[in-house]
Amino acid sequence: MNIAVLIKQTIDMDQLKTNENGEPILDNLPLKLDILSKNAIEAAVQLKEKYGGEITGISFGTDKTTSAIKEAYAMGVDTGVILKGYKKSNPHVTANVIYEYIKDKNFDIIILGNQSSDSYSGILAPVLSEKMKIPLLSNAIGIEIADKNVKATLELEEYNVIQTQAMPVVISVAQEINNPRLPNVMQIMKAGKKEIKIIDANPNYSDSPNVISNTAPKSERKRIIFENTDDGVAEISRLLRGASR
Amino acid sequence: MRGLLFSDIPKNAGEMASYFSKKMDIDIISIHDESVLKYGASKVYFYDSGFSDNLSDAIIKLNDKNKYDFIFISSTVLGREIAGILSARTGMKCLTEIFYFDNNDKIITKRLFYGGKTVMEESSDFHLFTVAPGISSADTLEKISESENLQLQKSIYEIKSRLDKNSGGEDISDAKIIVSIGRGVGSKENIQKIEPLVDILHAKLAGSRPVCLDYKWLSEDQQVGLSGKKVRPDFYIALGISGQIQHIAGIRGAKTVIAINKDKTAPIFDECDYGIVDDLFSVVDKLVNELKK
Ligand SMILES: Cc1cc2nc3c(=O)[nH]c(=O)nc-3n(C[C@H](O)[C@H](O)[C@H](O)COP(=O)(O)OP(=O)(O)OC[C@H]3O[C@@H](n4cnc5c(N)ncnc54)[C@H](O)[C@@H]3O)c2cc1C
Ligand SMILES: Nc1ncnc2c1ncn2[C@@H]1O[C@H](COP(=O)(O)O)[C@@H](O)[C@H]1O
Repeated sequence: MNIAVLIKQTIDMDQLKTNENGEPILDNLPLKLDILSKNAIEAAVQLKEKYGGEITGISFGTDKTTSAIKEAYAMGVDTGVILKGYKKSNPHVTANVIYEYIKDKNFDIIILGNQSSDSYSGILAPVLSEKMKIPLLSNAIGIEIADKNVKATLELEEYNVIQTQAMPVVISVAQEINNPRLPNVMQIMKAGKKEIKIIDANPNYSDSPNVISNTAPKSERKRIIFENTDDGVAEISRLLRGASR
Repeated sequence: MRGLLFSDIPKNAGEMASYFSKKMDIDIISIHDESVLKYGASKVYFYDSGFSDNLSDAIIKLNDKNKYDFIFISSTVLGREIAGILSARTGMKCLTEIFYFDNNDKIITKRLFYGGKTVMEESSDFHLFTVAPGISSADTLEKISESENLQLQKSIYEIKSRLDKNSGGEDISDAKIIVSIGRGVGSKENIQKIEPLVDILHAKLAGSRPVCLDYKWLSEDQQVGLSGKKVRPDFYIALGISGQIQHIAGIRGAKTVIAINKDKTAPIFDECDYGIVDDLFSVVDKLVNELKK
């Protein structure tokens, strides 16, 4: 089985601070794997362990994306490819770049996250499925394979469903599908030595929306904090008494 | 100006309709549910069961016929599939997860970025958008929209079986008062100590992601936040919730936020109107006693 997993690298948003104007301070911020990309890698590796096959990890990124690919190697990805030239979040550009690379590679399964952790765009999977003209299984929380068929449990808002499709398929995964493994020191050491394929992608960003601002929303909350509980209880119950009538 | 809205969840259709009908004439494609007729659409197109392929076909056909200026798709699992397929088939670029839309000279939209830490305001000339749930309250009108049943083609997809999720059975998204619990509640058993407060306020119980998803003390549909429900109650009472950005993203619509947390430095105190620094159980007891008076 020939599996592709799509891997996004993002800034470490837990460590993101904003300046006095609410603008994010991006200098020297550590990078990390997108949360759902990690789940996608784990799902791919589990499929390989169960059914055999080869995994290609593909990231539209930059020179710095080597660390993401190394992490993917340590988790069990076999071949890593960086499509170089990522500048900003634009799902159409990302989809085009990745499509150009995967279109003639005969992957049986293309696994990616349902929504990436920085932009939450969530349209890469359907755009790729449509461009490739292969079926899409979205927001999977379970994947099984029998013969040439993929049976997936998909999490929708109000209920879950089970669907089956013949390969090749695009599968997007939900965070609940698995707990990504923590590679051991040996695996990390070995991953560091493995070769990474780097290809210039030459993306075309020409019809991106124009960013007017990107700042932390100002909180207009009153922030009246009581360290004396009885005073707080008196004030808050006064407010609530009015409301619950 | 005309817009076409799509949602497979009637409530989201209502929210989007309430928001966009103030800005343009709207038609809606929705899963069959009579409630959708009450949100001010010129026309509602119902379907009973559809998938990304045949619903995308139907939207393209309707758009060719009626030449909408904009297409707004509710950001659900199915909605995002449709948005991606529409975009790939028609070449229309899609701007995702917007929670604000204005159309003067240019289209101005806002969406969350960096996992909810920032708001990205953009201008574009796009026609296709996915809309984050909770963009507005769903406000019903007197007038009932006309409706028509959509004829869908056969899909390549088929549901082999449908599995019900465990559900609290209550919809928190239109509650007036929400009592929301976080990891600070400590255990599922402890929830019963909170219930007197929920009862006396006629509130609905909600929770943070760990409480709903990881520990399952509450059901998934009670989760508030970026990946849960966006709520807009008059009062949101956060008990033992630290106030991480992904949680805050779900409560920006609340009129008044009250936080109780024993840690003075918890970020929730920067995002609340009233806060008490103390053990949540003792504060809940005192509040209940006071409210009983
Ligand atoms: C992609 C992504 C999406 C996410 N989406 C969501 C989402 O939709 N909703 C969501 O909630 N989270 C979401 N999260 C998780 C979020 O980052 C936080 O981990 C989560 O909100 C923390 O939950 P908590 O406040 O209950 O727990 P904690 O952060 O552990 O906070 C518990 C708090 O309880 C206080 N406490 C403990 N005991 C007591 C006591 N006896 N009395 C008073 N206070 C006490 C502590 O001081 C602490 O502040 C998401 C994360 C990611 C990465
Ligand atoms: N630049 C990228 N390179 C590789 N994979 C990506 C990239 N951006 C997004 N993805 C994949 O697509 C998933 C969904 O992203 P999105 O559709 O942008 O929300 C992510 O979880 C990744 O698996």
